[in-house]
Amino acid sequence: MNRWDALSAIVAAFPTEPYVVTLGGTTREIALQRRGQNHLYVLDSMGLPPAIGLGLALGLAGVLPDRIVVLEGDGSLLMGFSSLATIGLTSPANLLLIVLDNGTYAATGNQPTAASAVDFVVVAAGCGIEGRDVATIDDLCGALAWARGVAGPILLRVRIDTTARQAPFLLEDPVLPGADFARYLEARHVATHPA
Amino acid sequence: MSTPDERSAAVISAGDRIDPEWVLHLPSSTLKHIIDHCIGRPGPRAIPVPREEEGVGIASGLVLAGRRVLMVIQDNGIGNALTALTTFPAAYHLPLLLLTSRRGGLGEYNSMIHTFCERVVAVSDAAGLRSFNLDGTVAIDEWGRRIVDAYEFARVTRRPVIVDLNLMRE
Repeated sequence: MNRWDALSAIVAAFPTEPYVVTLGGTTREIALQRRGQNHLYVLDSMGLPPAIGLGLALGLAGVLPDRIVVLEGDGSLLMGFSSLATIGLTSPANLLLIVLDNGTYAATGNQPTAASAVDFVVVAAGCGIEGRDVATIDDLCGALAWARGVAGPILLRVRIDTTARQAPFLLEDPVLPGADFARYLEARHVATHPA
Repeated sequence: MSTPDERSAAVISAGDRIDPEWVLHLPSSTLKHIIDHCIGRPGPRAIPVPREEEGVGIASGLVLAGRRVLMVIQDNGIGNALTALTTFPAAYHLPLLLLTSRRGGLGEYNSMIHTFCERVVAVSDAAGLRSFNLDGTVAIDEWGRRIVDAYEFARVTRRPVIVDLNLMRE
């Protein structure tokens, strides 16, 4: 499975939910596939997407019915690994953390990460987070359907290869996609709680 | 000159006036009374975070969700948080108030902490992060107003703001 196909399956399963998208190829490919105001592109803060998603999940619980979908990479997850403990502690039912694991820091030249030595699903379980480990599109689609039907927090480890599409950098001022995302949240809030 | 207990009480009172819905905290002996108050108060939900940059991420997500948030940490943790602060809440224009306890300088017992903490304001300035300093030279009845003003300053400027609090003996 490559990242492009994995992202297609994820966006098909969760088309309108709020996303926190990790930097590098993940942001570039999902923006190329289907750029949306519901995507918060984290353009530089490696290691932070799960924490940002946790804050959103806690802050929006009871406000929006949606899952907060965090798209993270294995290298970035390892950089902010302590977030799993805090996710377990706070246990937001509306948080879905999807780890696209290609075993490398792809954006910087495919240097290996330590992911091959780590069972993310077992670590997550130790933190009180239920998870699944998938390596095919069919299994990913099944795991996404499962994740939609159960209370979170949920971690999906998605094994992908290192192939990447040519996709342009997002070089705009981060205030702009950030403001788009804020407007999307406001619109979702109005739609969910009509006057 | 005010006492450390009087300054802690002023910070607690200012925090109650800000009325945060969430408080993210890391351990600090000089912040003990303030953190204990946040944990025990029925209003805000207090979350212990293991790393400052993680706290910046969680706080930023809460701010994006429209929540009132405070971070309470030691100022040596600003070193850990610099990249997170500058690449996310500062870059995305998110208001966030960090109350930091001053380490280093007169009254500090820990020898290795002076090097960074005596330069927190200079480091913050160099990183483009606005900070305010409250210590024994500031009248105690000014502390609360300045902390609340700093919270409003963060909101108005849509940026992270640090208030460095000297709660040590001087």
